[in-house]
Amino acid sequence: MDHAWIDGQPVQLEAACAEAARLLERSRLPVIAGLGTDVAGARAAIALAQRTGAVVDHMHSEALLHVLDVVRDAGIMTTTPTEARLRADMLLLVGPLPADALPQLLSAKLRERIVIWLCPGGTVFGGKVQAIGRSPDLLPTLLAAARATIAGRPAGPAPVGVKTIRSLGDQLKAARFGVAVWSAAALDPLTIEMLCGLIKDLNVQTRFSGLPLPPGDNALGVLQVCGWMTALPPRTGFARGFAEHDPWRFDARRLVERGEADCVVWISTYDPAPPPWTRDVPTIALTSGGASLPRRPRVLIAVGCPGVDHDAIEYVAAAGTLAWEAAAARRTIIRVSDALDRIAAALPTSVASPC
Amino acid sequence: MLTRITGGRVIDPTAERDEIGDVWLRDGRISAPPPAGTQPDETCDAAGKIVMAGAIDIHSHIAGANVNTARLLLPEWHRASAARPADTPLSNAGWPTFETGCRYATMGFTMVVEPAVAPHYALHAHLELADIPIIDKATLSILGNDDFLLRLLRDKESADAVRDYVAWTIDTTRAIGIKVVNAGGAAAFKANGRQFSLDDAVPDYGVSSRAIVKALQHAVHDLRLPHPLHVHCNNLGLAGNAETALATIAAAEDLPLHLAHLQFYGYGSEGERGFSSAAARVAEAVNRAKNVTVDVGQVMFGPTVTISSDVLRQFNARSQAHPNKWTIFDGDANGWGIVPYEYRANNFYNAVQWAVGLELFLLIDDPTRVFFTTDHPNGAPFTTYPQIFALLMSRDLRAEWIARLPRPAIELTTLPSIRREYSLGEIAAMTRAAPARLFGLKDRGHLGPGAVADIVVYSDDADRAKMFGGAALVFKDGKLVVRDGKVTREQWGRALTVRPGYDHNIDRRLRDYYAERYGLAHDFMRVPEAAISRPEPFEHVPCAR
Repeated sequence: MDHAWIDGQPVQLEAACAEAARLLERSRLPVIAGLGTDVAGARAAIALAQRTGAVVDHMHSEALLHVLDVVRDAGIMTTTPTEARLRADMLLLVGPLPADALPQLLSAKLRERIVIWLCPGGTVFGGKVQAIGRSPDLLPTLLAAARATIAGRPAGPAPVGVKTIRSLGDQLKAARFGVAVWSAAALDPLTIEMLCGLIKDLNVQTRFSGLPLPPGDNALGVLQVCGWMTALPPRTGFARGFAEHDPWRFDARRLVERGEADCVVWISTYDPAPPPWTRDVPTIALTSGGASLPRRPRVLIAVGCPGVDHDAIEYVAAAGTLAWEAAAARRTIIRVSDALDRIAAALPTSVASPC
Repeated sequence: MLTRITGGRVIDPTAERDEIGDVWLRDGRISAPPPAGTQPDETCDAAGKIVMAGAIDIHSHIAGANVNTARLLLPEWHRASAARPADTPLSNAGWPTFETGCRYATMGFTMVVEPAVAPHYALHAHLELADIPIIDKATLSILGNDDFLLRLLRDKESADAVRDYVAWTIDTTRAIGIKVVNAGGAAAFKANGRQFSLDDAVPDYGVSSRAIVKALQHAVHDLRLPHPLHVHCNNLGLAGNAETALATIAAAEDLPLHLAHLQFYGYGSEGERGFSSAAARVAEAVNRAKNVTVDVGQVMFGPTVTISSDVLRQFNARSQAHPNKWTIFDGDANGWGIVPYEYRANNFYNAVQWAVGLELFLLIDDPTRVFFTTDHPNGAPFTTYPQIFALLMSRDLRAEWIARLPRPAIELTTLPSIRREYSLGEIAAMTRAAPARLFGLKDRGHLGPGAVADIVVYSDDADRAKMFGGAALVFKDGKLVVRDGKVTREQWGRALTVRPGYDHNIDRRLRDYYAERYGLAHDFMRVPEAAISRPEPFEHVPCAR
């Protein structure tokens, strides 16, 4: 079975890595994107970016930054999935949620638990859930009205009746340990900030916390690695010789669409989704089995899926942290970290890696 | 390879050595002087310089999910506008893992203990530690607010069960010891408690904070772990909390106990503002309790961020956040809170705090029982250490500082009356010999034959802050890693662990517990050697005191 290709022609891995190194060396602004990889892959990607002056961006940075923007502007109160499942006597579901989230959250049999769902959108759930509002577009005003009511301040016009808002406020205040659950991808930062402000206000009298459901593709694992290696989240560039973070400037999609990036390393080992751009750009693709690519990459290296083909460390949602995952169906295939290290080794030695 | 460091003033309190002489090292270890006439492969001239073992920091929050949360909370400390600008807050704190190791090494530190690892986050912490270059590391795992232990105590299970659980936790998370943070306080906060003291009971469990501390203290002692239970007391930061410190010291009875960042518990409630220094009383109690060790958690002025697993305290401190943003994480057990803060020299309370720390350093007689920390970054970033050494070594320098501080604050302390000045020997005892002993590290903290060749050569500068700020030479494992205050070689240290044995019945119990409660394998928090992509990532420290 072939594992490496240049322009669609099978080649030895060494040749593919050498060609990738050549492309990176000649590039004026390389972008390492996708980043759907394990902790080792993320470490290798950031180290390679530091050496080549590249930008690193994760395919779910947008969703990560929805929450992170609130964290760094205002702060946040959060809890773990287990605390929410076992201890919350009130679950406040906010906006559309992934279908598999609820059965998990409601799996523990608690004596008392009220579930309120604000603006579920199209999501349908059969359980005993009290829904308020429907379209997620209503959330900002609904949350603002609820927050004002709880704080005893006059509220502007709400998308639902005053009585409903007041009763919602009373229920929230009556919770002993409430947890608001939302999908990081589904809500915009201002809505999340309003929700987090509501949570903070509730804690003056009772206990309430938040549980943002993270995006997939090990986005939170990659965020953690970026955090300790650079002190910054993804959408960080190294072109000036140090780490700079800018959510707009270092958005991989924008960099490609605008023609600023002239070489892309696309890493996707979990998700078959193609890169989110239409423009043709010289691409080094590190993908596992099913990943689809709209165009033939210059260099393609078939890599293993972490936790399936090989042992890996990744963010495990049920644990709420990084955990070691033994290979579920071990096979001999190169890992992202090994492939990136080989590419780095094929670069000229003029720039030394600090990591 | 034989190296001779020659002609320096060698200060090695373990061997009661303070003399002009040589230190020899071979293959990563310190060696006895070879027969006369032996030619070394390399000679380092240390004439006019000070030679000590590498320093050991016993309590510094340098890695883990809580530290990473702080990084992501405060991107302005890594502004895009300039390369590590020198004049922005905490730009000197060595923020990413790589800088942390380099900055510690340049100051002559060769080992740092990360003191607050929630067991579920052990793998994350060790991954970060593995990316900190040069220095060796170790972790303390946190117990005392976790449901499993609280159930054991509530159900009055045997001391054996507690001991096995403690040993299992240490083994699984690859720690060197156990810390308890506001024992029961985080669990009480989950039930909406807003204050929690030593004899308060945890709601739903009916177990007192004191009972938790005692159970863990005994377990650690019975397991013969080198490091005593590391205690973060209740009521951190509150006026009048010296009583808490005194009560906790008394509760230690005759067994070893380590009290962390004691400065934050050195407060009386005198004066117009009801906030004063009680350091003298606390120091006196420490002097009497020979089984107790403490570290200081010195405050220095400037912006910083407080990172603590004491969620209750952090929640109560939220209104003081500067800049005005903070995070509270209700964890499976302790969780954590991150609150940025600025200590100001013109602030009454901050000036008292600064003085309390120095009083403790200077009024506790035995430099091997008071440890040098700022509780980085809670009292100050670790990069302020050189200034603190200078303050300890010079009463004139302290007088200069005191003159710039609010007089009403200083009047509520004993600091101006203290004449003591630390000698270099006492500094070496406090930062080298004693920490090695506190963690059972027989081959560190001294310069005797067989010790790991972690050696620092400082220029003997009258400006002690300058001297300690950038070592002339640092050897780590016998390799020269720093010259003239600059890192010259990258290499990777190890994480030091203890591995107490335990009855494997606890394994079965925990397997069932985690399967039922978390739907996870109980060892999801384990740290396999293969997870750390460095050669020999761990080093085993034997138990038994």
